[in-house]
Amino acid sequence: MYFNKLTMKTTTTLLLFLIAFSVQSQNYKFGKVSKEELQENINPLDSSANATVLYRNESIWFDFSGESGFVQKRSVHERIKIYNKEGYKWATKKVRLYNKSNSSSEDLLSLKGYTYNLVDGKVEDDKLKKDGIFKEEVNKYWKTNSFTMPNIKDGCVIEYSYIISSPFLGIDDIDFQFTIPIKKFDLSVKTPEYFSYNKLLNPKAIYHPKLTDSKRARQESWTTRRDITRSRDAGSYQSEIKFDENIINCNEENIPALKPEPYVSNIGNYKSKLSLELSAIKYPNEPYKTFSSSWESVTRTIYNNEDFGGQLSKTSYFKDDIDALVSGVGDIQQKTGLIFDFIRSKVKWNSFYGYTSDIGVRRAYKDGSGNVADINLMLIAMLRYAGINANPVLVSTRDNGIPLFPTRNGFNYVICLIESEGFNVLLDATAPFSTFNVLPTRTLNWQGRVIREHGSSTWINLTPMSPSMEATSLNAKINPDFSIEGKVRQQKLNYRAMSYRNAYAGLSDDGLIKNIEEDNAGLTVSEVNMENAKNSHLPLQLNYDYTLDNSIEEIGENLYFSPMLFLASEENPFKAESRKFPIDLSYPFSDKFMINIMLPEGYAIESLPQNEKLEFDGIGDFTYLAQQNGAYLQLTIALNVTTAIILPQDYQNFKQFFSRIIEKQSEKIVLKKAM
Amino acid sequence: MSFRFLLPAFFIIFSLHAQNDDLLKATTIPLELMIKSNAVVRFDNSNIEVKAHDRYIYNRKRIVTVFNEKGISDQGTYVFYDSYVKINTLEARIYNKNGNEIKKFKKNDFEDASAVSGGTLYSDDRVKYLDYTPISYPYTIVFELEVDYRSTAFFPQWRPLEGFYVSTENSEYKIVNNSGITLRIKTKNFEDYNIEKHSDLHYSATHLSSLRPEAYSPSFKTFAPILRVAMTDFEMNGVRGVNNNWEDFGKWMHDELLTGTEVLPENVKVEIKNLTKDANTDIEKAKIVYNYMQNKTRYISVQVGIGGWKPMLAEDVERLGYGDCKGLSNYTKALLDEAGVKSHYAVIYGDRDLVSIDKEFSTTEGNHVVLYVPNNDEGVWLECTSQTNPFGFIASFTDDRDALLITPEGGKIVHTTIYTAQENLKTTNAEVSLTKDGAITADVVIQTQGYQYALHEGVQNKPLRDQKLALSDYWSYINNLSVESISYDNNKEQIVFTENTAVVSPRYATKTGKRLLFHPNAFNRVTKIPTRYKNRSLDFEIERGTTDKDEYTITIDPSLEIEAVPNDISIENQFGSYQFSIEKISDHKLRYKRQFIRNKGHFPKEDYAKFRDFITSVVKHDNSKIVCISTN
Repeated sequence: MYFNKLTMKTTTTLLLFLIAFSVQSQNYKFGKVSKEELQENINPLDSSANATVLYRNESIWFDFSGESGFVQKRSVHERIKIYNKEGYKWATKKVRLYNKSNSSSEDLLSLKGYTYNLVDGKVEDDKLKKDGIFKEEVNKYWKTNSFTMPNIKDGCVIEYSYIISSPFLGIDDIDFQFTIPIKKFDLSVKTPEYFSYNKLLNPKAIYHPKLTDSKRARQESWTTRRDITRSRDAGSYQSEIKFDENIINCNEENIPALKPEPYVSNIGNYKSKLSLELSAIKYPNEPYKTFSSSWESVTRTIYNNEDFGGQLSKTSYFKDDIDALVSGVGDIQQKTGLIFDFIRSKVKWNSFYGYTSDIGVRRAYKDGSGNVADINLMLIAMLRYAGINANPVLVSTRDNGIPLFPTRNGFNYVICLIESEGFNVLLDATAPFSTFNVLPTRTLNWQGRVIREHGSSTWINLTPMSPSMEATSLNAKINPDFSIEGKVRQQKLNYRAMSYRNAYAGLSDDGLIKNIEEDNAGLTVSEVNMENAKNSHLPLQLNYDYTLDNSIEEIGENLYFSPMLFLASEENPFKAESRKFPIDLSYPFSDKFMINIMLPEGYAIESLPQNEKLEFDGIGDFTYLAQQNGAYLQLTIALNVTTAIILPQDYQNFKQFFSRIIEKQSEKIVLKKAM
Repeated sequence: MSFRFLLPAFFIIFSLHAQNDDLLKATTIPLELMIKSNAVVRFDNSNIEVKAHDRYIYNRKRIVTVFNEKGISDQGTYVFYDSYVKINTLEARIYNKNGNEIKKFKKNDFEDASAVSGGTLYSDDRVKYLDYTPISYPYTIVFELEVDYRSTAFFPQWRPLEGFYVSTENSEYKIVNNSGITLRIKTKNFEDYNIEKHSDLHYSATHLSSLRPEAYSPSFKTFAPILRVAMTDFEMNGVRGVNNNWEDFGKWMHDELLTGTEVLPENVKVEIKNLTKDANTDIEKAKIVYNYMQNKTRYISVQVGIGGWKPMLAEDVERLGYGDCKGLSNYTKALLDEAGVKSHYAVIYGDRDLVSIDKEFSTTEGNHVVLYVPNNDEGVWLECTSQTNPFGFIASFTDDRDALLITPEGGKIVHTTIYTAQENLKTTNAEVSLTKDGAITADVVIQTQGYQYALHEGVQNKPLRDQKLALSDYWSYINNLSVESISYDNNKEQIVFTENTAVVSPRYATKTGKRLLFHPNAFNRVTKIPTRYKNRSLDFEIERGTTDKDEYTITIDPSLEIEAVPNDISIENQFGSYQFSIEKISDHKLRYKRQFIRNKGHFPKEDYAKFRDFITSVVKHDNSKIVCISTN
């Protein structure tokens, strides 16, 4: 036993030594690109990588000067190996800079770059010159600095560095992961003690870097010149400050690439990154100024913002209209419906997000358009005015990622929550086909923060819990020529209805017919009718007649067909062999088919698919029941998926479950000519 | 395969005059113009005053009623500009459906943004556009524009029918020529539409009903009315030119835009000479040069030259190792010159659709540049923006269309390589085994050539996980397909791409009682049927012919007995042909053979139903099944 331990230790030490040795042999100083780096033709840890970040150094610090005070600097030094042509895109870099006005615009400084190639065993370099650098005003908010490296060939190494200078105290997220692997990453963040930052590593990431904290004393001195004409004390003054700097360091090696997968709401949610949020400013001899530190205080800060809370208290602009609208209406549900529909018809969403009002609710009301906050804060104010307990819910949209950290920037959207006896509903008036508790998919991102009156707040779950139902009844009659004719009646509720309305409510009957016929061989649809196409508070009903050719096969004496006809799903949407990240289905659902088939004269049933129930623990079930009833064949087929999120560890089973469903749906009924 | 575009330098639809208040009310639109429309152009008046060879003033007034969200883009409320363009007037007013003004936008209310399009790293073009959120539909927008152009190579076109799902009530186009310069005019497809000619320089259209797109219909601009104008004496960003015909225009491009750009450094000249000195023919030399260029460069689009039309200097491409289609083609030409091989810069449309340069009417057009190497009757076309493309291969992006060759003597129109149905070949061979549980295991070999090569070869550069997914998508009708192995062979010399795969599907055949049903056509099924139209209004087109040949040997488990096999099929018609046969080699071994040819062609709309029937029967027969019965 003792002996074993010893051996283990020795091996580990030896290994460590080897690794340390191989690391040391690399020189990460700018310009010190080695032959070995140029000769490498594949990333030994990830052979699928088209390029690899050999080294990335990111440093953030604050410069100080007497005139401008603290100015944020962020330097990036990056060395990238490009293995093949698919990796060439890494040789072009676009840096986005904020550009609001001259005084609050960011700048890119000290850009330099080289491309290294191995030519006849010798390292040759090509410098990035002015003709490879481009500056562009994108619009009134942003500008970009782009550059593209010269002489890119398979196997080359590029290296560049630049500094972003920013007048803002807010620090952008630091990404530890890209879609290519990183071999070595060094980070240092130095912030003056006057500014407090909350820090958080994305806990949803699979890769977790290790941060170390330290402190260091810093001293700055500067000279102020006195204006001679105004002052008797001509000349200059020497000033000095001493303060501590908080330092975060991180040194990582071999960070794997972040590879996107389908059915992930936002791959960025799983990226390894460090968020730093300015939580307070405390200058010497000045009071402590806090921004955020807890969700409670973040929420309060937002609530106290005039563009948020202030908008909720204005009522004069809509008073008369709402009085007229709800006069004599007592039922809360009815009142809510009236106000919700009124606002949706009166004020249209201009496609901008935000939890603060852009142009103010009063003007949005008058103009008839506004951002998310203009519309939903107005909705809340109107509901409250009508005596309903409505409150705002701060949300981070799917694109914005999940707010795991008390930051104001964590939110970018606001919706409405009504809490009343027996009537708890979420509302978003920016989407034309949303309804009570049916929100646009962009808002379905884990949880939201409800702010009750007086600013107290708590989390509420946004993931839909109850299944969205779809029920289809299919009648079919088999004709003597083996064509089939019949009727379909389909009812869709909640999210099922919203997504169908979003895609098809605007279509003409012809358009709908084309859509149903699409990809269904031999199907001809007529008499299509969509009820409640635009009234999102009622179930959507879709009815049509059809005839279907070529779906019954006559082989020998027998007839073969699948009872779901053209309604069967033919493809498993989950094809990948494995998954790293959860599948996001947006909402749970429940699909039910009731099929009634009239058999052709002169034929009897030879075989039916077996009745079956497939269960999938905690996630769903599938039932398949077929029975003969005189000249009729009746089937009930149902699929329930009770959760919106499928975890990676359940993926294999889920894929198999779906695969079995598809198989079952394609099973044939065999009819035999009766004697 | 990565091909890229030349900058679509200008596409400005462009006016003024009396305004009828009725046009501001959505209620006055004739019913027939509202059908199938997202928007109606109520009034569009373009008035262009040509002042000199290097200047025209463009006036436009436009009234559009928008019915729904999809109609917003039909407002046409934007203008592109650069340093040769001065915008004098730019304003818009919004009216509600009753014709009452609800909003007004002045020049400064328009958004200003960089006009860089996808794939371009930098361009000095900019755009001003209106960002308006409609508060109710329908609404009517009045847009007024006056622009002073000091570059005349791109002249405003007139497209009285603007696109699908938008109809036109009134549209008028008038040129006042005060320059003394001859203007050439070409009108196309006017005869089928209600268009009146008032003079050579003045036209109007009324009541043009909207069209909707239909499956397999040719691209909109092949049948829509269009008027194009070229100034015989023009200027492009300070460079003057003559354009009476393609010969002139090509000569101008050669002398003013290309000459002087092809100088190479001495060492490169020497290197090229050395590399090609042992090659015997021009084509051999060209291959060496093409390979040299592919290894040395990459595609980066930077649009700063004259109107996006002058290539980067060859020596800059050499130094930086990148360029756009112009720069890379011109660089390759310079290298070929050094090797003693003649070649010509060629302006073309790069598009999967077959879009030609108009051989009868010379004007600034095209969106891409390639290189042409003359070689007896059949020259070779070189796509210089791809680092992996086989030498001389152009199927799918620049094949079968007219291109403008720039020669020292002037411009010439030449048609590019046509790939025939025989050349666009895909063969699929498989060894399949069916077990008694209905599982199949198979070794499949897919070989593609011509256009089908272009459709298949891209997969080789993807990571393994995506390659497996691509196969699962390609055979999406096989449930639970698992890919055991994949290997590729890309023969760039013969231009044949081979995919070798081994796959398994555990329950491929369907069980019904004692029987197993399975599709013999496991690996090349047509599953999509063209959309059905009650009244088809447009002709249809198959742009490229293709041939698919399949042969599968199917070995069946000894415990199964073959009960029924579908009959052999053979169909032939104007759209192509389809055959399959099943041959019994032994009791448990079958050979399935299939051939499906699609013919290239332009067909009248009356034949669409027949075409649809043909594809429907292909889908049906590809879905045929063999029935086996268990003998245990």
